[in-house]
Amino acid sequence: MASNGDRSSTEWLRYITSLPGVPGHEEATARELMKAFRTVADRVERDRMGSVYAWIQGTGKAPRPRALLAAHMDKIGFLVRAVEPGGYLRLTEVGGFDSRTLPGKEVSIHSSPHMAGVFATRPPHLQKRGEADRPIPLEELYIDTGRPEREVRRKVPIGTMVTLRQSPVELLGDRLAAPGMDDRAGVVVMLRALELLRSKRPAWDVVAVATVEEEFGIVCLGARTAAENLRPDLGIAIDVSHGDMPGAREGDTVPLGSGPALSIGGNIHPLILEDLKRSARALSMPYRVEPCPTGSGTDAMDIQIASSGVPTAVIGIPCRYMHTGVETVEPRDVDRCAHLLAHYLSELSLEWRAVEVLK
Amino acid sequence: MSVNGAPAFHESLLEAISNAPGVSGGEEAVRAILAEYARDKVDSLEVDPMGSLVARIEPATRRGRSGRRNGARGSGAKKGPHVMLCAHMDEVGLMVTAVEKEGRLRFRRVGGIDPRILPGQVFRLGIEGTRAVVGALPPHLVPRTERDKVTAADDLYLDIGARSREEAEERVPVGSYAVFDTTYEAWGTTRKGKAFDDRAGCAVLASLIQRRPPVPVTAVWSVQEEVGLRGAAAAARRVQPDLAIVLEGTASGESPGAPPDEQYPYMGRGPALTVQDRSLMVHARLLDAIEDTARRHRVPTQWKRPGVGGTDAGRIAISGSGVPSAVVSVVCRYIHAPAAFLDVRDAQRAVTLVWHTLETLRKEWP
Repeated sequence: MASNGDRSSTEWLRYITSLPGVPGHEEATARELMKAFRTVADRVERDRMGSVYAWIQGTGKAPRPRALLAAHMDKIGFLVRAVEPGGYLRLTEVGGFDSRTLPGKEVSIHSSPHMAGVFATRPPHLQKRGEADRPIPLEELYIDTGRPEREVRRKVPIGTMVTLRQSPVELLGDRLAAPGMDDRAGVVVMLRALELLRSKRPAWDVVAVATVEEEFGIVCLGARTAAENLRPDLGIAIDVSHGDMPGAREGDTVPLGSGPALSIGGNIHPLILEDLKRSARALSMPYRVEPCPTGSGTDAMDIQIASSGVPTAVIGIPCRYMHTGVETVEPRDVDRCAHLLAHYLSELSLEWRAVEVLK
Repeated sequence: MSVNGAPAFHESLLEAISNAPGVSGGEEAVRAILAEYARDKVDSLEVDPMGSLVARIEPATRRGRSGRRNGARGSGAKKGPHVMLCAHMDEVGLMVTAVEKEGRLRFRRVGGIDPRILPGQVFRLGIEGTRAVVGALPPHLVPRTERDKVTAADDLYLDIGARSREEAEERVPVGSYAVFDTTYEAWGTTRKGKAFDDRAGCAVLASLIQRRPPVPVTAVWSVQEEVGLRGAAAAARRVQPDLAIVLEGTASGESPGAPPDEQYPYMGRGPALTVQDRSLMVHARLLDAIEDTARRHRVPTQWKRPGVGGTDAGRIAISGSGVPSAVVSVVCRYIHAPAAFLDVRDAQRAVTLVWHTLETLRKEWP
């Protein structure tokens, strides 16, 4: 596949998932993403909330309509809540983990200098009867850094960011598992799509936004503020969709390797969905329709109701084991999402509008 | 190199064997590293029928010559008791028991692993180290009624990314072992790695044979401790030692909020000595000799909590006509979990303590 940059999707995924950045602490990630987007965009800037905008200028006559792409750059993690006697750290989460996936995992403590630690576990030898039948809630879990209490107290203030420390795991079929695929995989889709759009210029202006604070939960802050700033004529969120796995109901997941998952439901404008499907067919690309009856749970939720209303759609990257340390995607799906997005955007006519004038 | 008159702890060896896979019954990779290391340091070296690595090393003679020629048994000079030093090579892990149509691998646990540490974990399978993840349903999809339940190990599976049974079986046949995908690291004086139970003991034992010991020693790196203390049972019958000291990586009790009587032993406060565990009453006179030695050489020691766990010493003690046995342990946090801790100073202290104990035994054991 032709590419201006020298990184494959796999390489981008490895690199970008490795960057820290829990909601509200995206600074370091944003700096790296600005560097990355400068290799493909005409202009890169940051807004006051911290989201990164990468512009591709359209070929149409000004004033041109504007498409907003959004993928969130924050990833779920923790903040230090307390330092216990002995130097053990208690955490509070930012974004939703299942605490049952944490015991025994290593973490990075983003203090200065950085430290590592592990979620402590009690060996079976010392457990009381029945202890292993009860999951350990996050309040009872703690981190051990292996360092003396004095050193920990000096270097790790309350509020220090903590993330899962798991380097990307290469599985068969080029599949890649790492914490933060949600939604750094979406950021990679935008990077690859912009790369394609450089040589296949759309008529519209395209602004790819790596948004902040999607996982905080109150509101998709970065997406909402970006949409207010940019007042786009359409918006597309790129996020992960639940991949197939045992225990999940059919209809809640899409198979890994099955191409883009195109959401359907109230958060999705039907005309955009139809055009996305048409693009997929034109590219002979497999895709799935993913039912989202009560909303997509993505940046598109807030983009849709921003400004005076924005027609939105969601492109999903199939991802197994979301919100664990082993979020798994297939880079081929990332490539497909990028190609779909680039094709759709470059086919957009200057006249396209979602507003129907009936009289 | 010498520390406090004893050989130096060989840390790079600990790193190598901690990173190597060696689930009970599949200890070959660890054994190969240890055999290569021991080859030019010992008088004889063999792999016994169960797979344990057995090395014999005679004491130095008065003239400091090789003991092989002058130190043969029955030569008249007092050589001291024949001591078996034992550490087990095996670690807890998983074995692949079935490959499903969709390419997922079902497994059983080998040794004591808390099922709560499995979801979200990464494993290395087979000698090639094929990576696998143990997935978990995303919290978004977990039914409310399941949130407070521990997922049984039988309901978990390994995902290597395969799409079909054939693709999976080609890489990971049924019977393959899986180990935690953990890399050895130094965090201050703490060392983080997998399988410190009992690669810590293996490395302490290896460090002790860098020099000819004060008494005749048979070093046994045993197999299958975690599945019932099996390798050492057979090895002890073969070696028939006068005494045995087992070198272990034992569990620290430290945990915030735990009552003081459950906090010990502590990482970083020296080797832990066992009085009694579920497998053994430690031989009182042998324990006295170890304690005396610790006092004389100012090696800090602490007690292991009585009544907890069991080691190869339990089997060695009851082999043949009985073998007085003791256990010296490096205290580790988070054993039987992906990332264990030890304090590298404790490892050196264990080497120092056992080395000088051998000297004590040469002089004082009848």
